[in-house]
Amino acid sequence: MFHRRTLIAAALAGAMLGGITAAGPAAAQTTTSLTDEVSERGVLRVGVGNFVPWVFRSKTGDIVGFEADVAKQLADDMGVELEFVPTVWDGMVPALLAGNFDLIISGMSITPERMLRANFTVPYASSGNMLAANRDRIPNMTSLDAFDNRNVTIAAVRGSTSASAVQAELPNARLVQFDAEADVLQEVLNGNADAYVASVPKPAVDSAANPEKLYLPVRETFQGTLEAFALRKGDADALNFLNNWILLNTANGFLQERWEYWFTTQEWGDLVPE
Amino acid sequence: MVGRAERPATGAERPPPRVRGRRIGWLDVVLLALVAAAAVWVIHRVDTRLTYTWNWSMIPGYVVFFDEATGTWRSNLLLDGLVTTLRMTVAAGIMALVIGALMAVARVSNVPSIRWLARTYVELVRNLPPLIFIFVFYFFISGPVINLLGVADWARELDGPARQVMAVLFGPPERFANFVTGTVCLALFEAAYVTEILRAGIQAVSQGQWEASQALGLSRWRTLRLIVVPQAVRKVVPPLTGQLISLVKDSSIVSLISVQELTFAGQQISVATRKVFEVWLTVAAFYFAICFTLSVVSRRLERHFGAARR
Repeated sequence: MFHRRTLIAAALAGAMLGGITAAGPAAAQTTTSLTDEVSERGVLRVGVGNFVPWVFRSKTGDIVGFEADVAKQLADDMGVELEFVPTVWDGMVPALLAGNFDLIISGMSITPERMLRANFTVPYASSGNMLAANRDRIPNMTSLDAFDNRNVTIAAVRGSTSASAVQAELPNARLVQFDAEADVLQEVLNGNADAYVASVPKPAVDSAANPEKLYLPVRETFQGTLEAFALRKGDADALNFLNNWILLNTANGFLQERWEYWFTTQEWGDLVPE
Repeated sequence: MVGRAERPATGAERPPPRVRGRRIGWLDVVLLALVAAAAVWVIHRVDTRLTYTWNWSMIPGYVVFFDEATGTWRSNLLLDGLVTTLRMTVAAGIMALVIGALMAVARVSNVPSIRWLARTYVELVRNLPPLIFIFVFYFFISGPVINLLGVADWARELDGPARQVMAVLFGPPERFANFVTGTVCLALFEAAYVTEILRAGIQAVSQGQWEASQALGLSRWRTLRLIVVPQAVRKVVPPLTGQLISLVKDSSIVSLISVQELTFAGQQISVATRKVFEVWLTVAAFYFAICFTLSVVSRRLERHFGAARR
């Protein structure tokens, strides 16, 4: 990848120095697009993190969730095998840039900072943040105002849009960050943090599972987000293919149907223990 | 990750006599009672302060489970992770020994530039936190190089017996690049400590041996190979086994670069199940079982060989 790009860059630079402007577009066309590369390899490699119910491990160790269904459909439509590359959230974009996989399909929200490093498709899902609070520590609130206080500790996953949402919406609160969703919840259950912020539907699911300990002060989401596939920069062909794939699957209802299954039902509940 | 390689590689000639205690006295009773009381107090505190419903029943299923679809028992994330950890430890251990041996010879070379290069490598690795070393090495060196070499595609296209051999030694071919990255990072990290152990071993052989060999007309290289190394090997075996055992534990840091080993598997399960404590206690028990078994075995072997030499 890098190798080829370096060659092309060198060729372009050479062509410009020589004043042969026509060589520019001709050289650019020799770039293999991701779509060709994937067809040739016969395998689509997708980087995934670990967020229930976006994408997570089932009881039998399989990778399941909303994103897993989306990625499977995408690979099917491309006529190739699908290979998941489980990756730690912090290292997701660097791993994409390093070429460890072809795409990120992992509930990654579009942010200006991420867009400067990678290309994003049009969104295929939207989400928002919700806050779940510890009943013993900050009881009976019906707005978020009480949480915007420097004596309040709020937990979130490191580097997630939820962490940024806390900074934007509750700038006075003390933000503590953890690597995994499970640690964030446990910190609030233990009473070391007063509340946590995460993408829907997690706060609602968690507070339904621990009603004596957690509650939702506000049911509306805040700091809405748009989720999209991320790919390496400089590949207009792949970006065009993926954008239109998403538009098509929005129009035919596939994305909506899968989203409702994973986010509004509990039919998949037997994929996890208990 | 503490207190390694600082141990002198000497002293293997006569191990200290094993401590054989008197019968259990009142001091032992008091001490054990205090420890037990402290343990009970901690457990009680944790139990009352912690809001947590324990559920150990899901753990065995993450080791092995019965797959009704195929009617067979299948390994799950924890066992797969454990096997990857062991495979990686063996591969990285061998690689670290080879690199360490080369570097150790370079460290005692009579060519200054070779000596300095080896010294730079050792100091660089030993004076960086392991986590930082792994990140820097992974993102700037091993990751790009391995992708550039097309290791992933090469492994994926293997077939026949080669594929099977690869699968036994290194795990699933589609994870091969990931495995190699983790192994190389780990090996280069550990090799710096191995280098120092081996160097200490070589330098512990008395100067007289070098001088005597020189007097007999042996070249520097032949002296090293025929006289010094055979003596040094005996001195370095105990610290070296200790280092290799700690490699098992150190391997958990590569979970941060998404190598699918035991710690990474633990992380994945804890998110899906929200049973943080059961998962991490199980993972801890796995590491402990391996490392403890290895250190008992190595102590036995040491005693055995120590006795045979005398």
